[in-house]
Amino acid sequence: MRINDRYMWTVFVLPAFFLLILVLGWPAITSILYSFQPTQAGATGYTLASYKSLLKDPFFKTTFWNTVVFVSFSVGSHMILGLAVAMVLNSALPAKPMFRVIALLPWVVPDVVAGIIWKWMYNPIYGALNDLLIKVGILENPVEWLSNPKLAMISAILVNLWRGFPFVMLILLAGLQAIPRHLYEAAAIDGASKLTQFIYVTLPGLRKMIVVALALDIVWEVRRFGLIQAMTQGGPGILTEVLSTYTYKQYFQFFRFEYASAISVVMTVVLLMVSLPYIWMISQEE
Amino acid sequence: MMKKYTATAIVMAAALTLFNFGGALADQVTLRFSDWHLTEDVWNKSLNEGMDIFQKENPNIKVVQEPVSYAEKETKYTVESAAGRAPDVFHVHAFSLPMFFGKGFAKDLTPFIEKEGPKFLDAWYPLAIDLMKHNGKVHAMPGDYMTMVLFYNTEMFKDAGLDPNKPPKTWDEFLSYAKKLTRDTDGDGKVDQWGFGTVGAKSPGFSLRFGPFIWSFGADYLTPDMKGSALDTPEAKAAFAFFVELYTKHKVVPPGLTAMNPQEVRTQLAQKKVAMIMGSGWTPPIVNKINPALNAFEVLSCAPAPVKVKPATAIWLSSWVMSPNTKHPSEAWQLIKFLTAKDTELKWFVDNRVTSSRKDVSGVAPEILNDKFASVMASQLPNGKVEPQIPQWPEIMDTFTTSLQEAIVGMKTPDQALGEAHQRINAILAR
Repeated sequence: MRINDRYMWTVFVLPAFFLLILVLGWPAITSILYSFQPTQAGATGYTLASYKSLLKDPFFKTTFWNTVVFVSFSVGSHMILGLAVAMVLNSALPAKPMFRVIALLPWVVPDVVAGIIWKWMYNPIYGALNDLLIKVGILENPVEWLSNPKLAMISAILVNLWRGFPFVMLILLAGLQAIPRHLYEAAAIDGASKLTQFIYVTLPGLRKMIVVALALDIVWEVRRFGLIQAMTQGGPGILTEVLSTYTYKQYFQFFRFEYASAISVVMTVVLLMVSLPYIWMISQEE
Repeated sequence: MMKKYTATAIVMAAALTLFNFGGALADQVTLRFSDWHLTEDVWNKSLNEGMDIFQKENPNIKVVQEPVSYAEKETKYTVESAAGRAPDVFHVHAFSLPMFFGKGFAKDLTPFIEKEGPKFLDAWYPLAIDLMKHNGKVHAMPGDYMTMVLFYNTEMFKDAGLDPNKPPKTWDEFLSYAKKLTRDTDGDGKVDQWGFGTVGAKSPGFSLRFGPFIWSFGADYLTPDMKGSALDTPEAKAAFAFFVELYTKHKVVPPGLTAMNPQEVRTQLAQKKVAMIMGSGWTPPIVNKINPALNAFEVLSCAPAPVKVKPATAIWLSSWVMSPNTKHPSEAWQLIKFLTAKDTELKWFVDNRVTSSRKDVSGVAPEILNDKFASVMASQLPNGKVEPQIPQWPEIMDTFTTSLQEAIVGMKTPDQALGEAHQRINAILAR
């Protein structure tokens, strides 16, 4: 039997489509349905109870704002450090491949492993960081990086900066390599300084890549779980509790499947809204 | 002719052998067995030896091991149970059981127990069996059963001028000992050894270590009917403030308390950074593994938890659960029966120093009664108390730990933090 060329596309698309429905669509729909189920044992039907509880939950509100702070500073610092390192790696650097590998190393380390390593680095008794800072004279006494309420979130963000900047760096490096050299040469002939070249050549050339990196990194950082779970479990208090750790707790520790699903749905809606510029940009290109 | 007979006999024997072998293979059942102990060196060796014995006794059952980390076990079993693919037999804390029972993730073991005879359960401590029940029926079998006691380093006691044969008996005495043990040992003007190490992170290990404080002060987390918080009593406030001030006022606990989990605290004991910790049967072998040079089995000693108003301590109880989705319930029961048998429970003690929920092991075995650690733990069973077995317990404990951490780091006073915990726990219970 020969398939008409007009319908041939279905042969290629349908397997992937059904696979996506199975691994993405089905869990997503199940989760949405769960979020509308009543929490009382034996009750049936659908209800908005979990969403109403969310609005009244002070922990959820704090956790939501913690997530905004964690993601904003993480993504912001990733963009700055990622761009800086990408520009260095795009320059005429000796042993460039070696430096590229070194810059990528934090990205290779699994989240939980990174969290455990940094928890030991931050340890006030055995930690290498305090030891180093005391030896070079910056600190007199060890600092409680993860237990000090003023430092816990900053310490988590610093680890996340180290862990996550290579992702942004990779995207921006690809963007930098795509900017034609002659644009820089023309700008130099016109007397543009390095800063002027950066503002009028590099940044416009990277605009699309910056949007891509921003959108993907925001989505990635909102879902960041292992790092915080391994280092602080959301403490001290709930100062480092973020939506991903809070959802995990509700689902796997408290067995509140319906409530955890409602948090997941809210997270998904927020992430979809954040991703809209990226989706719009992709659709415009097509 | 003879050759022909011989050949025929050989062919028949081979056919029979193959047939039987094929039959045996066809009859062999594979069980999935999961336990967080499989990720721990000392326990892993012991469990593997146990499984070898089981498989020799039950050649028709093949056991496939599925290790899981201590922190992730509930996650793994929840997800797999919800998907109908949980291991046939798995190991959890007793306090996790109400959640598993509530979701239908544990098989009713009553039919198997009834087949074993009417006196089968008499070998276990009644409290341990009661905690395995859901709607009056046994849905799990009890495993390790231990009390939390005070472990201390006898050499550090001597160095601080304390008599290692006279451990602190009251919490006031404990504080005075902890102050003496908090010292600058290298003379650089900075404290480098602390009196007491404890868990302050949001970890399941926290409640086990805080139980001896709150219960000994005559307080409790919940009202007797378990419908409300009991944290508004003067006794609860005193216990909470005492624990917080060990860190904030007396500074006898090392820095970084809110991030300390059980393994980090045991490391502090192994590295002689702290002199006393709350622990149980697992403490000496793990500390010995972390730092063999300490000679933990000799240097460490243990004593009942100090007392304020009455002697009280926390009981650790683990449980063996059969998945309701198992396709081989009889074989899974064989495995659970083996894991909780008298000889096996004694092996777990000899190898891992965990006492048993079986009376005919913990109450009579000379190995336990003559052991310097186990004898103290066994003596405390009458003072032992278990955490409330209600589905909301993990959430209540998380709320309590959150407030405690806020008091420890100075975000709130102990009274403010405890007051908030009281209100939030009432809200959880009223939901």
